[in-house]
This record gives sequence, C-alpha cells and structure tokens, in this order.
Amino acid sequence: MPTLLEMQSAMKASLLHRDSRAISPMLAGDVPTDRLDIYRNTFAHTLTRALRLCFPVTQRLVGEEFFEGAAQIFIGERPPHAAWLDLYGSEFPTFLRSFPPATSITYLGDVAELECAVNGALHAADVAPLDVARLGAIEAEDHARICFVPHPSVRLLRLAYPADVIWRAVLDSDDDALGKVDLGCGPRNILVERRLTGVEVECLDEQAWTFLSKLCAGASIEAALVDSSEFDSSAALAEHLAFGRFATFSLGYIDGRRSGIIK
Amino acid sequence: MPSPNISVADPIPAKAGIGLRFQHHQSVLETRPDVSWMEVHTENYMGGGAALRYLDAIRRDTPISLHGVGLSLGSAEGIDPAHLERIRKVAERVEPGLMSEHIAWNVVGGTYLADLLPLPMTEEALEVVCRHVDQTQSHLKRRILVENPSTYIAFGNSIIPEWEFMTAVAARTGCGILCDVNNICVSAHNHGWDASAYIAALPPDAIGEIHLAGHSIKTLADGTILRIDDHGSRVSDEVWSLYRQAIARFGAVPTLIEWDNEVPLLEVLLLEARCAGRLIDNSREESSHADAA
Repeated sequence: MPTLLEMQSAMKASLLHRDSRAISPMLAGDVPTDRLDIYRNTFAHTLTRALRLCFPVTQRLVGEEFFEGAAQIFIGERPPHAAWLDLYGSEFPTFLRSFPPATSITYLGDVAELECAVNGALHAADVAPLDVARLGAIEAEDHARICFVPHPSVRLLRLAYPADVIWRAVLDSDDDALGKVDLGCGPRNILVERRLTGVEVECLDEQAWTFLSKLCAGASIEAALVDSSEFDSSAALAEHLAFGRFATFSLGYIDGRRSGIIK
Repeated sequence: MPSPNISVADPIPAKAGIGLRFQHHQSVLETRPDVSWMEVHTENYMGGGAALRYLDAIRRDTPISLHGVGLSLGSAEGIDPAHLERIRKVAERVEPGLMSEHIAWNVVGGTYLADLLPLPMTEEALEVVCRHVDQTQSHLKRRILVENPSTYIAFGNSIIPEWEFMTAVAARTGCGILCDVNNICVSAHNHGWDASAYIAALPPDAIGEIHLAGHSIKTLADGTILRIDDHGSRVSDEVWSLYRQAIARFGAVPTLIEWDNEVPLLEVLLLEARCAGRLIDNSREESSHADAA
C-alpha cells in the first residue's frame, strides 16, 4: 500500500508533468485517465487565470493563445508554493526574457516586469504611511541621520525599454501612442505606488530616482543626497512624505551603524 | 468558542447567505442587498488594498464567514505554518462568524497544486487530517468547520467510507462539519454511493454550515458520465431535494449559495439564496408542528 506521501508525490507528477505512471496503479478500479484530466485542467486553469490577472497588457501584446502557451510552460517549470496566488508570477518576466518564441518582442520582459510591480503594489499590505508629525520630534541636527522604511506598496524599477509608455497605450487602447513609442529612448526609471485613488506609475528623472532608491534602500537622508544644483532634494523629500512613500523611520549613525526603529 | 485574539464581530445566522466574489463588491456596497450573511475565500484577502477596503465596508453590516481553499489539511508533509498565520491575520481583521477549510490536500514537496485534491480514505490520512485540524484550531484559537469533498477518482487503499471519515474528524478534533450537499450529490453519482444515506450518516450536532452550488454533467471518452463540481450554474433540482433532506435532519443551518465560474448578476445569487431561505423557514415550521403534535 502506498503511503500518503507517495500518493501525493505521484499525483504531483501527474498534474505537473502529465506523468501518470506512478498514480495509476494507486487508483481504485480501472480509472480512465480523463478523470485525472479534470484535476489537471483545474490546476492549469486556476494558475493561468492568476497570470492573466497579473499580466493583462503582456497578454494583449502577445495574444491570448501565445500567452496561454507560455503560461502552461511557466506553470510546469515554476508552480506556486502556496495558495496565496495574488503574487504568483513574480518570475514570469524573467521567464519571458529567456523564452525563445518571445525574444523577438524585445520589450516584453520589461512590460511584464512593470505589470508585476503594479500587481505587487495593488496587493501590498495595508500599512499606515509615516505620520510627518513624528519627524517634528527629531532635533534638526539629527535630520541628516534619518533612515526611512519604504511603504510596502512602493516599487522602483529601472527598465531598458519605455515599458510604461507601452503599458499605458495598451491599457488605453491608444494605437496612435503605441505607434509613436520610441524603443531607443534609453532606460526608464519608474516609480510604482498605490495611492488611495489606485496604483500610479510614474517615470522619474535620473536624480529623483536615485535619491528615492537610496532612501528606500535604507540610506540616511545625508547618504542619499544627490550632489547636483539642478535637483532639489528638500522638495523631493517633501513630496515623498506627502504621498506616504515611507512607513516609518529610524535614526542611523553617520558612520553607517544604525539604531533601532523608532516606534 | 470565540478566541481572545480573534473576535467574532457577528455570528452567522441559521439563514441563507451568498458567496461574495470580486465582481459584486461594488454592487453589494451600492445596493446593500437583503442577505443575512456572506462568505469569502480567505486566500483572496491576504494582501491589502481595494479588496480589503470593500470587505471592511461590507462587513460593517453583514456577518462574514471565511472559507479557505489552500491550507491543505491532508498534506502528508504537514501544513505550511506561514499560510496558517496568513489565515489568522485575515481572521484578525475580518472577525469572521465562521471559519472553514476542506477535507482535501493541495501541497506536496512545497508545491501548491491549485485544486482541492482527493485523499485516500485511510487511517493514515485520517490521522494526518486530525493532526492538522488540531494544529489549525489551536493556532486560530477557535473551532473550524471542515467541508466534505467532491471527487472524481478513488484510491485502491481506501477503507473508510467518506461519511465515516468526516464523522471521525469531527469526533476526534471537536471541529464542525460544513456539509456541501452539492459535493455529496456529485461524489455519489461519480462513485455510485447513495446520497441520502450519506446525509443520514452524518452527525447532526456537528453540522455548522451547508453549501449549495451548481454542477455540470460531462460524458467521458469511454462513455461514462461524470458530474463536475464547477460552481457555474444554478443549484439542480436533485441538490435542492437533498438539501430538504439535510435540513430536515440537521435543523436550520447557515446555508450558502456558491457560484465561482461564469458568476451571474448579484440578483441571480440573491434569488437562489431566497429559495434556500424559504426551505429553511418551511423546515422550521414543520419541526414546530411536529413538536406541537
């Protein structure tokens, strides 16, 4: 008699790899394999639907059939680990970048990566943004040592192609805008965040993106400052605080050691 | 028992409720339909954002039940403590009137197989499930209900009838049973069981909720006819008839209309719930007449 673990491993081989050699002898009577297909179909259908929900623009760029084919292969190679499927597919952009039939669409991986960030922001945990009044309690001389913790919905991306422009044009079904996309416009620095009104995708200039990236990586304000006469760090910081891009902060030491998070 | 850390906002009444799906968030908030309670899939509310905001608003005047699909109570390798903790966090926020899971499994080797997969009805599986129900109830600090499965295959080493398996899980762990009448109908057809006898074999005191849903009928390549539990249509006459038998035996029990595929307009769900509600009212009258006589 097979153990429960042996049966479950055999079932996995049948669902993931269509290999029913191990499971068939464990079934009662002469069970036709199309009964196993019902489970296999639900498995594939549920996960493909999760990917469709996360990557609607990617799907529109490649077409439904292509998407489904790519999803089937991806699901077989990288099935999820848990039933929380909201964030399933974080490896799909990387998969698409090395998926031979998709390599001719050079920007596809970037669009998928953007969609993944949008989806992550959409489902990020509800955390109250940092109450700016708490910063008022910090002595002015210590301001430079403030290190922020980013809000869980904030995502920063650096993409080789103008995926944000393509993404918006496809969502708006704006063929004109899509036709005018300049794939050679250079790398894009993208901020994705969830606001009360929904998820926003914004393209930042190099200095603004670098400043925010450093802050979100935990650098102190002083360490994150951008040395440029054209960039107003104070104004940028005020905007970040106003949009609730940080959840909390701590005071770091100037030599790089950090103190605990201030509650 | 309500736990000290997961409070119960409102208990689920012994009336008809509907499964709340994303498609209906907005219309439920706008129209405030007359429905006694609603149930959601726990896994759909594990993050934050808009879904949770809707649920926060809806649950202000509608009791909510949390129905999980991914804890995998039947996994030989154990249940994922991280997933159990996610469930606890959703419960902490939603303060559900009931919490339920399935007699099924879907995780092996750390892979989630995205369906409610059947268990062999063996003593080993029974021990595994009971251990995990104990673990779940002690982590959540409250009683859960476990739902009987719908299945398409059976295992050669199964020795315990499914209704006895369900009864044993409830008896050994103190959990309740979520009796899915549609699942009983589907499995009875697929395996040649007597659906009425199944219902008659369940312990009435353990039944905490009933599920009703639609299923489809498929003819396989070899000509055999299979019932598919796809939650994509109205409750069938046969299931309504089994439901009457169920509430005649179990008494008035919170009863849910589930619809997950090709989700119809909210009005259709509400009509189905009204049908169930009328049958509950009738059963109450019949039992009070019986008491008077």
